[in-house]
Amino acid sequence: MKTKTYQIANMECPNCAMILESIEDKLPGIHSIRASYKKGEMTVEYDETQVSESDILTAIERKGYTVHSTNEDK
Amino acid sequence: MEQYLIAFITGLTTGGLSCLAVQGGLLASSLANQIERDLAEIPPTPSKKNKRIARPVRPNAALPILLFLAAKLTAYTLLGALLGWLGSFLTFDPITRAGLMIVIAIFMVGNGLRMLNVHPFFRNFVIEPPRFVTRAIRKTAKGTDTATPLFLGALTVFIPCGVTQAMMAAALGLGAPLPAALLMFAFTLGTSPVFFFVAYFAAQIGATLEKHFMRFVAVVILFLGLVTFDNALNLLGAPSFSGLFATRQVATAPVEASDTLTLRAENGGYTPARLTAKAGVPVTLNIVTENTTSCARDFVIPALKYYVLLPVSGTETMQIPPQPAGTTLRFTCSMGMYSGLITFE
Repeated sequence: MKTKTYQIANMECPNCAMILESIEDKLPGIHSIRASYKKGEMTVEYDETQVSESDILTAIERKGYTVHSTNEDK
Repeated sequence: MEQYLIAFITGLTTGGLSCLAVQGGLLASSLANQIERDLAEIPPTPSKKNKRIARPVRPNAALPILLFLAAKLTAYTLLGALLGWLGSFLTFDPITRAGLMIVIAIFMVGNGLRMLNVHPFFRNFVIEPPRFVTRAIRKTAKGTDTATPLFLGALTVFIPCGVTQAMMAAALGLGAPLPAALLMFAFTLGTSPVFFFVAYFAAQIGATLEKHFMRFVAVVILFLGLVTFDNALNLLGAPSFSGLFATRQVATAPVEASDTLTLRAENGGYTPARLTAKAGVPVTLNIVTENTTSCARDFVIPALKYYVLLPVSGTETMQIPPQPAGTTLRFTCSMGMYSGLITFE
């Protein structure tokens, strides 16, 4: 299991956090997603054998958001 | 009846925009099913820096918006009844009301600055729903398109905007369930057209125009926050912008000092806005109303801790104890919207 925190550049309201958290319902291998509009970040806990980081990044982009930076194993 | 009309107009003019800024996120969620379906139908567009993907046209957006608004209307009417019931156990003196208004003003200004992206600090003014709520929302969203907007519309009751909070305070002040429920119903009904049109057309106009519109809303909220703060200052009897304006307006027409004053409390405020009284003697103040139904009826002199609910039509007489020369007494309505001065010479 891996944990990564992504800084999201364009979260504009608390609803953005909810939209990003909904990725956990769509992508297999995601254990949990915690997104915070206040911090402008989302923390993803995932099984790297089931889902790759590029899948996660693509899912974020498909939701209309831009990843600013990534911190690993926070 | 007039108070419900005022509540409706407040909702229609300012409440709609203010609520949209705070609760717009939930409305967007209620459209999320449709958005996701639309996005799935178009190839993914690489997002530019700091830009959202332009949203496609959603012709079926009207139904979820209407369901959302119906649920919101019901929830706020019930909340009004609850507040009215609670209000029957409480009394709101002008100082408490002013304190509440200051908190609301700070909240509104903070939200306006947040929406303008002035500094990340202002994100703290947002009420983020707890994770179990967002999860529950998502679980609902997975079900049918009908349940989601209904549930989310009802949830707006937990994130009232500044203007709504002011209206909630007014509902609390009514101190009876039915009038308070009707007040919240009228106000929420007033906010509905703005919600509907903005939400419906925001679904069509795309991200760029939406951003401009939300900036406009932010400026309006900022302005309303400052007005609320100014009203609170009036209510505290402190110097305020509107008080300064009222003083200047009549400065050119000095009146001879008298020990009997007559003040007309009209629907649009108090006339004259500045009175001159004799210093050192008891002064009789006659406050005259004639079909006055606005908040000018709730007459307050903060410095004397004097508060009276005037009759719709009639004359209320109060005795002001002797005041030293040079004293200035501010009077205001209980909302701080209308104010004036009595100067002792």
